[in-house]
Amino acid sequence: MAVDGRSVAVQQFLKKTELIKQGAEARVYRGIFLGKPTILKERFPKLYRHPLLDEKLTHRRTVQEVRALLRCRKAGISAPAVYFVDYTCHCIFLEDIVGSVTVRDYITSIQLSPQKSQEERLDHLAKKMGLVLAKMHEEDVIHGDLTTSNMLLKVGGDTEEADLFLIDFGLSYISALPEDKGVDMYVLEKAFLSTHPNTEALFEKLLKAYTASYRKSHSVINKLNEVRLRGRKRSMVG
Amino acid sequence: MEGKIDGALINPFMIVHPFEVLVAANKAVHLHRIGKMKTRRMYSEIIYNLSPTNNISDAFKRFGTSDSDTAVLIVLVHPTDETRHMTEVMAKVDGQQIPVEDVSKMVDTAQIKKLYRTTPQEDSCLLDAVVCRMAVKDVI
Repeated sequence: MAVDGRSVAVQQFLKKTELIKQGAEARVYRGIFLGKPTILKERFPKLYRHPLLDEKLTHRRTVQEVRALLRCRKAGISAPAVYFVDYTCHCIFLEDIVGSVTVRDYITSIQLSPQKSQEERLDHLAKKMGLVLAKMHEEDVIHGDLTTSNMLLKVGGDTEEADLFLIDFGLSYISALPEDKGVDMYVLEKAFLSTHPNTEALFEKLLKAYTASYRKSHSVINKLNEVRLRGRKRSMVG
Repeated sequence: MEGKIDGALINPFMIVHPFEVLVAANKAVHLHRIGKMKTRRMYSEIIYNLSPTNNISDAFKRFGTSDSDTAVLIVLVHPTDETRHMTEVMAKVDGQQIPVEDVSKMVDTAQIKKLYRTTPQEDSCLLDAVVCRMAVKDVI
């Protein structure tokens, strides 16, 4: 292993890559890995945490992320493939969804386009998002950080229909509780409405599509209404 | 088998695409460097890495060669500029050599789907389904 704690695979990869995003949790790079366009997600050590705790948390999130990715892919939900995981430096090598745009940018660009086709395209997108999220909750995967930036749209080569990819499963976990699913949808609602102002009607359409295709959506929507009143943290009093 | 070839001898019918082998070899080299291999040798680790399960003997049975096999994929790990060993191994092989890309043409798709337990939803890209399971198998 290299002196700085990074494995050789990672070091060789980093030579030819560009940093595309730095967050509080990880750095994301883009490059080529064994000949394929790849995204590298590196969870760097957090110096503000106790080393032992940091190691545990980081390791768990890395594991949770790859597990959820596989589970979603098995269910037919589009998510990047995992090529390689380095547990020593907590790096995940993921398939790069070439030619994709975030749903966030896509919505913004539609809103800037001529009024005519706007509504139809947005409705179509909201419906698709609802369907994918329903499928994900059907598998008991809780994403944990649903935002329009964590969804990618890839326009297929031969078909007109764009594919909706879910990404960033770092905070995901498995749960069948309506409470957790309700909070998941609440997080999305908050993020959606604050990123895209005046889209309440659109989010309603998303929820409608979600409800229509998910058998157990009734209890989730009830929980969502509950969570809306109290916020996502449950009161621990009493 | 006499152990005269120093390399990983793989059953090519179980390989969807050469990329899969690169992933297995990369993981083997990585684990070798950090001293965390599950098997004793790097070449056995490559074969083990191809398998979706954590059962070593099962991996050898499915992905290694046996006497009745009519084709073999040999994988060597060497420094970029050192190819002497490769010529030596090639001299020992009595048979027709084919480009590594053609391995994909030999794949037994039904067997792959069964062994990796892929779902019908994953049929659109079997390689991704296989590589994902290989990469994630140690935490499942």
